[in-house]
Amino acid sequence: MNEPRTGLDLNRRNFLRGTAAAAALVPLGGALASCAGGGDKNTKKETGKVTSDNPFGVAKSSSVDAVIFNGGYGVAYTQFAGKALEKKQSGLGVKVKVTPATNLAQSLQPRFVGGNPPDVIDDSGKGNIGIAGVLDQLEDLTDVINAKNYEGKTIKDTLYPNVMAPGTYDGKFAVLNYVLTVYGLWYSTSLFEQNGWQPPKTWDEAYQLGGQAKSKGKYLFVWGKEAATYYLTLAISSAIKEGGDDVRLALDNIKADCFRSDPMQQVLTGMKKIIDAGYVKPGGAGTQFTAAQAQWSDAQQAILYPSGSWIENEMKDQTKSGFEMTGTFEPTVTSNSKFPLAALHSAAGEQYIVPSKAKNSAGGKEFLRAMLSADAAANFAKATHSPTIVKDTVPADGFGSTALKSQLKLLADAGSNVFTWGFVDYYGVNTDLLVLWNTFLSGGSSVKTLTDGMQSIVDKVRKDPSVKKIEVK
Amino acid sequence: MTSGITTPPPTRDRTFALRRWSKKDLTFDRVSFFVVFLIVPVLGYVVLVISPFAQAFYYSLTDWRGFDAGKKFIGLKNYTNLLHDETFRRAVRNSVTLGLVLPVVTIVIALFFASLVTVGGPSTGPVRGLRNSSVYRVVSFFPYVIPAIAIAIMWNQIYDPSSGLLNGTLTHLGFSGFKSYAWLGEEKTAMIATMFVIVWSLVGFYMVLFVAAIKGVPAEIYESVRIDGAGRFRTAVSITIPMIRDNVQTSVIYMGIVSLDAFVYMAGLNPAGGPNNSTLVITQRLFDTAFVKQQFGYACAMGVVLAIITLLFAAIVFTVNRLTGGTNEVAE
Repeated sequence: MNEPRTGLDLNRRNFLRGTAAAAALVPLGGALASCAGGGDKNTKKETGKVTSDNPFGVAKSSSVDAVIFNGGYGVAYTQFAGKALEKKQSGLGVKVKVTPATNLAQSLQPRFVGGNPPDVIDDSGKGNIGIAGVLDQLEDLTDVINAKNYEGKTIKDTLYPNVMAPGTYDGKFAVLNYVLTVYGLWYSTSLFEQNGWQPPKTWDEAYQLGGQAKSKGKYLFVWGKEAATYYLTLAISSAIKEGGDDVRLALDNIKADCFRSDPMQQVLTGMKKIIDAGYVKPGGAGTQFTAAQAQWSDAQQAILYPSGSWIENEMKDQTKSGFEMTGTFEPTVTSNSKFPLAALHSAAGEQYIVPSKAKNSAGGKEFLRAMLSADAAANFAKATHSPTIVKDTVPADGFGSTALKSQLKLLADAGSNVFTWGFVDYYGVNTDLLVLWNTFLSGGSSVKTLTDGMQSIVDKVRKDPSVKKIEVK
Repeated sequence: MTSGITTPPPTRDRTFALRRWSKKDLTFDRVSFFVVFLIVPVLGYVVLVISPFAQAFYYSLTDWRGFDAGKKFIGLKNYTNLLHDETFRRAVRNSVTLGLVLPVVTIVIALFFASLVTVGGPSTGPVRGLRNSSVYRVVSFFPYVIPAIAIAIMWNQIYDPSSGLLNGTLTHLGFSGFKSYAWLGEEKTAMIATMFVIVWSLVGFYMVLFVAAIKGVPAEIYESVRIDGAGRFRTAVSITIPMIRDNVQTSVIYMGIVSLDAFVYMAGLNPAGGPNNSTLVITQRLFDTAFVKQQFGYACAMGVVLAIITLLFAAIVFTVNRLTGGTNEVAE
């Protein structure tokens, strides 16, 4: 070309600038428009006739789209339940499709926004969908547990007590937690017997045990940086046992001064005494949590660890042989606490939800019914050594696992004294709390600093009008 | 596109250019050229880059929770909330610190090494690098080949208080104070330890970049400088840096953007934000706000703030380059 280059340049630039400016405006208009009209379209529901064998009215030859968190328990147990469903409803020709997934919030967000969520979801693991954001899009699952299971018994009667509480939000039973989790202090029976130690019943006893452990060159506790809030869980449990339901309700409803109640403060002071005495292994704030747990289960540098019952499975490959892992009740402050020492923090994990907008939500419920049948529950317990919320699926010997055996004992001893809370997960404040607890366990902050910090985190949530609050009763 | 036909006689300026848009010039060649090389890429850019930007900005003005289509327009409320958000301000401070420190440190070290392996060799014979410099060049590039998350996991182990390589070495050397020292768990050291990892992982890349740039400088210049009696430091400051300043500028901007992001390193080394949030960066806070707290509108506002900071950073680098005598516009 023989044109002067400057001319061509100017043209190209002006053209680009114009296009870019115009282009910038178009999607903005599009976004505004889409917000006005989006989301209200109703997906066509597939429903069939309700019969006693088909209590939710699953449509003929429909398919059930199950998205299952692929974590420590895998997805094979849900495929087992899916097969059971297909067999049971063979007359209808229902097909179950199980899709393993991780990071559910990220992977399922587009489907929720687009109005075509899966029929049933195991919403668990790191990066799961917070229930607060989807609560009004979920089915009430009360009819599932009121239905009869595949063996003909009413499902409700086959479950452990209180398993509905953690899944009930504002009176709506929206989340079915499938796996029973028991929280406690975990220790090695063999090590304790060798040294003549007893698991502590109060924080004073824990302090004394710390001294005894120290004389053997061991620490009382150990923690890892991602799991510092296990000690918050321990503290809350202990405070609830000491002070009763008032403590629990104040915390769960994130009331003003909920962390300043006497029992809570006594527990934190008891912990602080142990930290200041040097009974907690230093350096936890820089240690990866599974490495820290191995210092307890394998190297035995620390003798107690507060955790949920998943700990046995999690540390399977890093547990010293002959460890004989056993769970015991979390300590109280005094011996005349409101709840007995044998009260138990037990919640269920693996939260199953059925979105209302799903194409085949009846199929989603039928899937849960299959999971709650005695066969599927027994299969789960056997495969994972963890009990489900369905009773009597684990034999007395706990499949040879001391940890599982002790769980059954804890559950039996606790009877109906079972409690849990959900504000940490529900309002998504764990990350913020972790920071405070890492500092506290390192000995870097006082009880007051920790309390003020935790209180200001929940106060901020309470005062934020964009966050929907759940009233816990 | 047909406007401008009746413009005055051609001159060598803009009006001349406009006259070219006459109908008879719209040949198939030219039109297809525009379509293939301009309109299609611009459309792609608009759909894949500009529109998400605009969308994110729009969401930042709403209280969207992320999992339904319902969102309320709340104006600049998210932004005023950000101003009062102590944790977010901390994250901004940390990100800005990274954005200021990392580019300078990384590029100074990279320049130093690049000089050594290209022109820092023996002062007799041809201008060349140190002995075995090709080995150093390859070795220094190794960390860059490892994905950031693998680097973070590796350094997590090295920094481990009880069984880590670093504390093991230090206590072996007799520094017993480091027996259980949590490098990533103490406020004093967490940020520095993290910065070290990032510099370590990226310095090799910039070094290789600068080596290539220095190789592009004619060897005669270095030879004449040497004849004039300049030492190695003087050569680096007065010859190397001015000759490759465009590369340095581009590197500073690129490294700045990497530092302002830094998500993978930070999330890998201290997922929760480190002791007292001392290593919390904007991207981490953004992710947590969106996917854990489900405040997507608020998180989008954070993203917009990060974009503004990034643009400011680029503007500052360009201005500094202009003021110090650079002439070349690297990008418009």
